[in-house]
Amino acid sequence: MSLRTAVAHRNLLYLLSLKELRTRYRKSVLGWAWSLLNPLSQMVIFTVVFLYIFLREPPIGDPSGLEVFPLYFLAGMLPFQYFSISVTASIGSVQEGSNLIKKVAFPHEHLVLSIVIAQFATLLIELLVLSVAFLIFGHMVLPWLAPMMLLLVLITMFTIGVALLLSAANVFFHDINYLWTIVAQLLFYSSPIIFVTEEIPFAWLRLITSLGPTGSFVRASQEILYDGQWPSIERWALVAMYSITSLLAGAWVFNRLSPRFAEEL
Amino acid sequence: MSWLGHGNPDDHGIALRVDDVTKTFKVYDERATSLKQFIAMGGRNKYEEFEALRNVSFEVPVGEAVGIIGHNGSGKSTLLKCMAKILTPNAGSITINKRMAALLELGAGFHPELSGRDNVFLNAAILGMSRPDIARRFDDIVAFSELERFIDTPVKTYSSGMYVRLAFAVAINVDPDLLLIDEILAVGDVTFQQKCMEKFVQFRNEGRTLVLVTHDTSSVRNFCDRAIWIDHGEVKADGSPADVIDEYTETMLEAQAAADGSMRRGDGPLRVTKVDVLVSDTRMDRVRTGDDVTFRVHFETPEPVANPVFSLSIASLTGIPVTAPSSRDARAVPVSVDGKGHVDIAVRDLSLIPGSYTIHTEVSGWSRQHLYDHLQHARTFDVLAGDSSEIDGLVTLRPTWTWSGDGVSSEIYDRALPPSPDDDGIT
Ligand SMILES: Nc1ncnc2c1ncn2[C@@H]1O[C@H](COP(=O)(O)OP(=O)(O)O)[C@@H](O)[C@H]1O
Ligand SMILES: [Mg+2]
Repeated sequence: MSLRTAVAHRNLLYLLSLKELRTRYRKSVLGWAWSLLNPLSQMVIFTVVFLYIFLREPPIGDPSGLEVFPLYFLAGMLPFQYFSISVTASIGSVQEGSNLIKKVAFPHEHLVLSIVIAQFATLLIELLVLSVAFLIFGHMVLPWLAPMMLLLVLITMFTIGVALLLSAANVFFHDINYLWTIVAQLLFYSSPIIFVTEEIPFAWLRLITSLGPTGSFVRASQEILYDGQWPSIERWALVAMYSITSLLAGAWVFNRLSPRFAEEL
Repeated sequence: MSWLGHGNPDDHGIALRVDDVTKTFKVYDERATSLKQFIAMGGRNKYEEFEALRNVSFEVPVGEAVGIIGHNGSGKSTLLKCMAKILTPNAGSITINKRMAALLELGAGFHPELSGRDNVFLNAAILGMSRPDIARRFDDIVAFSELERFIDTPVKTYSSGMYVRLAFAVAINVDPDLLLIDEILAVGDVTFQQKCMEKFVQFRNEGRTLVLVTHDTSSVRNFCDRAIWIDHGEVKADGSPADVIDEYTETMLEAQAAADGSMRRGDGPLRVTKVDVLVSDTRMDRVRTGDDVTFRVHFETPEPVANPVFSLSIASLTGIPVTAPSSRDARAVPVSVDGKGHVDIAVRDLSLIPGSYTIHTEVSGWSRQHLYDHLQHARTFDVLAGDSSEIDGLVTLRPTWTWSGDGVSSEIYDRALPPSPDDDGIT
């Protein structure tokens, strides 16, 4: 549906997002705390693996001078997880909305957008906690939150594109979820979240990890938050290219398939 | 856009325009349900196209109430879903010039896990209302639905009647200029249906537009300005409710008779074509106890028939015969009939009590040796409560009650129905 329709239905989008947040964090304060537990527990696990099993040195932030692996990990993991959890939650969303789709006319993409919006709210809280951690370790991260916001806009475009594509495909094929689990794993391990690109001995592997669709925004996020430097113009261009391509492709496929949802579901 | 008009200046006075709409569904012979299977099948599914609507066109002027009738599977719901922009036609276009709300079969799109309250907000938002507007109307919506006690429980626990009540309450309270309704009156209890009908009448009187899909031809007859008959995906008739419904019921009866030979027996040539139930010269599907009712039997014969004896048998729908007047007993047999005609059987002060009844007709020779035509279920009709409050049996004999005895009070215990256990007691 057109942008005009989407805007006219912004009230619906608000209510759907609220519903999304409420069902996710039903038990209010505890619920929000709970949502932080997942990245924290992963942080502990990967820190132990990185520092004490593989015995690697934590990367040194340049120019921030930071030498804290958990912060390096979270700077890459939080945006990645925002992307991957949003997509995972979106895949079934059109299917789950079949009751609505078959009975009323509304912009179907709101089912997907509301999930991304709810995840975005979660991410903001996580970033707030992370910022406090940076400050505690003596890194003045606050000015860097501005470029981070710009990056998040691009990541959100990328996320919405993939989420639209897969949620529409899931109406027709029921193994999308399964395929996505594999792809998400692949993307996770090919992005420099639990390792450092510069330490990879093979040039081609270094290229893949820092130029891949998720790797490039993970790198950008680490540069902004952990290193305290502006990503290169090439990196911005790459991230923007992935985001715009993803959004256009996802929206195109979704718009083509969504008129058929009501009869195919 | 689904709920706001496109505002086409050429469409002045037209609320809804359906222009040459065709809708086909894919009926899959073999369908891949997974991407893996889809690739294995060479990237294509095997399917046939089924045309649920073919070249449907009509316009609905502002303020008109239109009834859409047709047998099961004829495409009525598909048409309504296309008008509501839930389905997209394969060809043709649908223009809505008004703020529209649609209510499909078995209620609105509710989210089963959410409470009634949340669903009211969600639904009203989908229908295009802002949050302050919804908040302002919320109490009205809940009051109309009569679900105050259940409004905070998830709708998955609601019965289908409760579902529809809430959906209907939302749809009429978002203030639509054009209301599309599919079979709503099939569910819900009689009092709620009554309430809906009152709301419809109010809607119509306010100059709003209504499109009603229903099986209940009598509500179309009594309520709509116009009827459209959809048959196998095409508009078969479009016009005044009386004409369209007559044509429709005739065809239905013929089809029924053809399907079930035992419905009609006899050797001809004279045949009964139709039976009408009239009150003050108006055709009715519902009459009241105490009405003066005329049963009009239409007949047709290609050649003259001498002294035909007509009889009319009225039975309850459960099959219990009530009465069977015959023209021979009434000394009302013409010496000869030919061509088309009708005979009126007028009944004063109808004594049938409320319920559903069916009429069988029979035409035979004077000696009753020769059966020209026997038509089972030529007509069914309903009787509503009128001047009698009897509810048991089939007829009222209009009795008078008189008491005697020293211990009998002259005062009458006058309580409205329904009774409560407190009404019993020994004094
Ligand atoms: N999603 C669908 N896929 C395939 N066939 C359908 C679908 N929806 C309806 N049909 C078919 O279209 C025809 C018209 O259905 P419908 O509009 O519901 O009829 P009605 O409301 O008049 O009873 C029916 O034969 C039905 O089986
Ligand atoms: Mg139907």
